Amino acid sequence: MEAGDEALEMVDSKDLQQQSKALDKLTDHVEDRQLDSSRVQTAMASIYASKEADLQAMRMREKELAAVKINAADIDIIANELEVDKKVAERTLREHKGDAVAAIRHLLN
Amino acid sequence: MGASLPPKEANLFKLIVKSYETKQYKKGLKAADTILKKFPDHGETLAMKGLTLNCMDRKSEAYELVRLGLKNDLKSHVCWHVYGLLYRSDREYREAIKCYRNALRIDPDNIEILRDLSLLQAQMRDLEGFVETRQQLLTLKPNHRMNWIGFAVAHHLNSNGSKAVDILEAYEGTLDDDYPPENERCEHGEMLLYKISLLEECGFPERALEELHKKESKMVDKLAFKEQEVSILLKLGRFEEGERLFRVLLTMNPDNYRYYEGLQRCLGLCSENGQYTADEIDRLETLYRALAQQYNRSSAVKRIPLDFLRDDKFREAAENYIRPLLTKGVPSLFSDLHPLYDHPGKADILGELVLKLEQSLKSTGGYPGSVEKEPPSTLMWTLFYLAQHYDRCGKYDIALTKIDEAIEHTPTVIDLYSVKSRVLKHAGDLTAAAALADEARCMDLADRYVNSECVKRMLQADQVTLAEKTAVLFTKDGDQHNNLYDMQCMWYELASGESYFRQGELGRALKKFLAVEKHYADITEDQFDFHSYCLRKMTLRTYVEMLKFQDRLHSHAYFRKAACGAIRCYLKLYDSPLKSASEEDDEMSKLPPSQKKKLKQKLRKAEARAKKEADVKNEESNAANVTKSGKRHVKPVDPDPHGEKLIQIEDPLAEASKYLKLLLKHSSDCLETHLLSFEVNMRKQKILLALQAIKYLMRLDADDPKSHLCLIKFFHKIDSLPTPVTDTEKLIWGVLEAERPTFSQLHGKSLIDANNTFLEKHRESLMHRAAVAELLYVLEPNKKAEAVKLILDSANDLVPIDGAQGNVSSWKLNDCITVHKLLETTLADRDAASRWKVRCAEYFSYSIYFGGIQSSAATSSANNQIQKSAANGAVGLNADGDSSLSSNGRLEKLNALKDLHI
Repeated sequence: MEAGDEALEMVDSKDLQQQSKALDKLTDHVEDRQLDSSRVQTAMASIYASKEADLQAMRMREKELAAVKINAADIDIIANELEVDKKVAERTLREHKGDAVAAIRHLLN
Repeated sequence: MGASLPPKEANLFKLIVKSYETKQYKKGLKAADTILKKFPDHGETLAMKGLTLNCMDRKSEAYELVRLGLKNDLKSHVCWHVYGLLYRSDREYREAIKCYRNALRIDPDNIEILRDLSLLQAQMRDLEGFVETRQQLLTLKPNHRMNWIGFAVAHHLNSNGSKAVDILEAYEGTLDDDYPPENERCEHGEMLLYKISLLEECGFPERALEELHKKESKMVDKLAFKEQEVSILLKLGRFEEGERLFRVLLTMNPDNYRYYEGLQRCLGLCSENGQYTADEIDRLETLYRALAQQYNRSSAVKRIPLDFLRDDKFREAAENYIRPLLTKGVPSLFSDLHPLYDHPGKADILGELVLKLEQSLKSTGGYPGSVEKEPPSTLMWTLFYLAQHYDRCGKYDIALTKIDEAIEHTPTVIDLYSVKSRVLKHAGDLTAAAALADEARCMDLADRYVNSECVKRMLQADQVTLAEKTAVLFTKDGDQHNNLYDMQCMWYELASGESYFRQGELGRALKKFLAVEKHYADITEDQFDFHSYCLRKMTLRTYVEMLKFQDRLHSHAYFRKAACGAIRCYLKLYDSPLKSASEEDDEMSKLPPSQKKKLKQKLRKAEARAKKEADVKNEESNAANVTKSGKRHVKPVDPDPHGEKLIQIEDPLAEASKYLKLLLKHSSDCLETHLLSFEVNMRKQKILLALQAIKYLMRLDADDPKSHLCLIKFFHKIDSLPTPVTDTEKLIWGVLEAERPTFSQLHGKSLIDANNTFLEKHRESLMHRAAVAELLYVLEPNKKAEAVKLILDSANDLVPIDGAQGNVSSWKLNDCITVHKLLETTLADRDAASRWKVRCAEYFSYSIYFGGIQSSAATSSANNQIQKSAANGAVGLNADGDSSLSSNGRLEKLNALKDLHI
């Protein structure tokens, strides 16, 4: 019984060692392989495009929102009562043109 | 790196970094010490030494050294990077990101730091940041394959699939025509399949199909190729080609239900709700008859027709299906068929059918119309099926008769005892159920499943200590074998937590519920290594699938149960706070001095004993840790094993809110979530959040009695509040005024009227009546007698249930228990409660709660349920609260069994 037990444990631990080694390897440091750099340049150029238009539209919207007049106290009340981030409270308030009741009702849904 | 050092030391410094990367920590440590001998204040070396020590489990030294290093060299990106890595290893990702950002401010183009940052952004799902970092990496090193792939995946995750396709195609443009070489075929094929699935996902099925055919030779995973193709064909509506392909797939695996479903779709024979016209059923029948001839070994092809066939055809098919399985003795037959019990009429047919088989087996020894004799076991399995059938239909007495007959027929089949245990559980006798499960367990001590089932029954019967001891028979606590916590055994933790909760042991209950929550945090954590590994190995489809799975991880039922359990514990803690130490002293001082002394002594002794036990346990586990593996793997000792500290928190509602947030985010379609949200927020006086809960409840199920309770209670509370004074109150009032008209239940009605309308609508239902009665008492406390009468006047109508061959009481045991508690506590009418109990004891004669005459509570011992099986040599478990493992004999038996295996 004793000897058998030990043998079993030996096999067991060897197995486990292998397993843990394999697991360990997952996080090993590996060098990357290189690609053909002349082709890379042309490929790079092809993927950078059309980003500008989106950015422009986004900036316009931000500007619009920033111009809305809001009551600073409302931000605190909304953030506190609905347990949301102040940034979220402020943005929702701006999106609803400073109408606190409308902003809260929007957040409730 | 190490720029400020002379050449010899600079080389040593490089060695430290290299050793860290290759996990040769001892070597790195030695090199660091050599440098530090000459330059004891060198910041980067100090930091790297700290990082190395961190990997050798010397946490506190590590932090000290890294911070010291940083202090000595604040302008070094290495120090900041190392500090970030240290935080990352402790899962403090937000802090780690801050450190990386500082490092990048000093060295904006550092590839390693950018890469580490991108991993954290993927982990934290900062998707915009992830895209940005990935773009930077690609710009810096466009000749690395991984950077292209990473950039594409980033765009995909950031919901810009078509951009991801563009990037992958640009990447393909960099490759030679004869790509890939032999050793990269798998990876390249995966990339192509990923790209094609992206095309399909962003709504370009034609392009996807074209690409698929063009690159067919380059895709190694042929099965995935076919499945992808058929999925696109379906999207394009090219059903004939789809049908052909599904038939090919079926030859590869004729037991895959998805292929059959797909084939049906191609043939226009698919319905979401399983309803078909007579014509469709005919066509389906023909289809499956042909398929069954082709794949005569497939069990799916035999089982699926039972889903769509009806009436006599169903009867015939079911009989043909069931007979051979009963002869063969397939214990899982009932679980295979039980989904059919939800189809109208089928339960009746199945019941009649199997009863007919039983009669024939008993009278002739064979199936009806067959001259062949069945083996004796067929009758036993038939009885076994019938017991489960009647259990499902709520006829527990018949179920028990059938199962007892089966046990008498063959007393050695374990499954019989398991099923009897389950029937008793459903009938409400949890103690006897646990005793029977233990009986089953003793019949095969090496079977983990029956052991687990027994543990669960014991927990349901609140025998926690006994359950723990039984569970331990299969879990060794040591270095290599892990205990239940390490194995993330969540069903156990949930059942145990619920049992402790029932017994009012909130600390222990919380401990278990929070353990489950921790497992989920660990599972989230486990994805970290895959962010780099999957990109490198190109297993992109599975990677993205894994990320999506992780995103909805917390909507899993186990997490929901644990979070709900924890929140309930916190609510209870808030409603009845613990006694503080001084209060306890007060109570003590009321006692006479002699008793006081005794009590104190007793407490001290108990404490000493507990401490000693804990010490011994620690020593044992430590000893085991050292001997078994060369590397000492210290498992930290839990300083609070019973959750005593968990219940001493300042603000239980704040804790509850933490888990509530997760529920609201991930399980917002569950009624339970919003019921708890209502309870928590009413206590926190967060009126708007309580209103939000009400709105969800009304949307999910306005007819649910609990939703109705919350709705009326909420507006009753609002009406009792004083007129608003502060700005906050005024704003809340404004919202309430705007919102109130959206509740159609309250239009032009007082709350009392609304409550009555609800009663009229659901007059027949017990639980609805109970809710109305409770509200009647809340709204008009002087009408308590009327409320009680409303409940007591409820009628337990007998309703016909499919398969039961007769009527079954419409009341559910658990509902009746809830009503009893309502009468006893909320309405506080002892007399009515005891009348209710007597009445329910009649309906539920096996229920322990109501003291039914057939329950083990009434017969004073669970043994009567298992007396017949004493012949098996098992020691009947004394289930009346004796919580010791009743005989050591069992443990010895288990050991003896182990010897046998070796």
